[in-house]
Amino acid sequence: MNEYDEKWEDRINALLDGELSAEDADLLKAEATDNRQLARAIVEAYQLQLAMDEIKVERAPDSLRKRLKAVPRQHRRTPVISFLQPRWAMALAAVPLVIIAVSMMRPETPSASEIAQARQDMAIAFAYLDKAGVITGREIESVVGHTMANAVTGSVNKAIQSQNLNSKEKEA
Amino acid sequence: MKRLFMNKFVIGLCCALLALPAMAQEDELKDLDGYVDFGDLSATYGEPKITINLGGTMLNFVGMMSSSESPETSEMISKLKGIRVQIYSLDADTDAARDQFGKTKSSLKSSGWEPIVQVNEDDEQVLVYMKTSEGNMEGMTVMVVDEEEAVFVNVIGQLNPAELGRVMDSFDVDVDLDLD
Repeated sequence: MNEYDEKWEDRINALLDGELSAEDADLLKAEATDNRQLARAIVEAYQLQLAMDEIKVERAPDSLRKRLKAVPRQHRRTPVISFLQPRWAMALAAVPLVIIAVSMMRPETPSASEIAQARQDMAIAFAYLDKAGVITGREIESVVGHTMANAVTGSVNKAIQSQNLNSKEKEA
Repeated sequence: MKRLFMNKFVIGLCCALLALPAMAQEDELKDLDGYVDFGDLSATYGEPKITINLGGTMLNFVGMMSSSESPETSEMISKLKGIRVQIYSLDADTDAARDQFGKTKSSLKSSGWEPIVQVNEDDEQVLVYMKTSEGNMEGMTVMVVDEEEAVFVNVIGQLNPAELGRVMDSFDVDVDLDLD
């Protein structure tokens, strides 16, 4: 293809793409009337364009798709970062989830009424512990007598207290 | 491959984030050594008449609020990691409660809890178990089953029973339990 042909090619492509001004288009057509070679080139380009338009996009075979996916990333074109890409969309969707999760996990300061309720709950729990102590003390007393009951319950308390003393000593 | 990994990572992250609040709301005490599973008697007796679950965070706040009134109480509470109470009304049928009592007792024995006091009467069973680890008290469990109610109390952390009365006095909360 010589320089003359290249010049034609640009003008023919522009004509077929509708990018040529009306004046230039008329000029090119006038030239084609006098130049059979140019006329043939325009017709061939037009036929080629029609043929290209008729080609349907077909799905590549799976084997080919797999091979293309296996091409190292550095050999591909650098993708433009777009927030419409699936991974960015998913990452953006995760942001509110993170905010909600963190806010739900953060221990909130309980209200005064909640703390009062907790004190009440503790008192109930301790009352039932006390109740169990009374029942066991009463049972021991009925079996071994008052003096021994005090000795037994006292030793139990001492046993439990000794655990606390142990821990205090370790802390010290 | 990297993109596939990225997609999987993001999906996994989303799933984990969705599960986190549920995990956080789940009983924070379950992983502690002094925790005891009392089972669930609601199928037989309905919902417990009293359910108490106080975790370490709430106990810390209670302790802080109590520090000005009673430093001793605040100190005692600071050693607690959790308090759990389940109390069921039994009506006449106590079989399921006694059965659960026995199961929990076996479970305590097999997991290193030591019996402190036990009362075995026909109409009343009381059991106090304690768990220690390297000389430190990890928890205390009290179970009472009589003809009216089944009481399951689990204190996680260190507790001196001799201090209970003083703590209850400092709380100034009126709790009237029928001991007859």
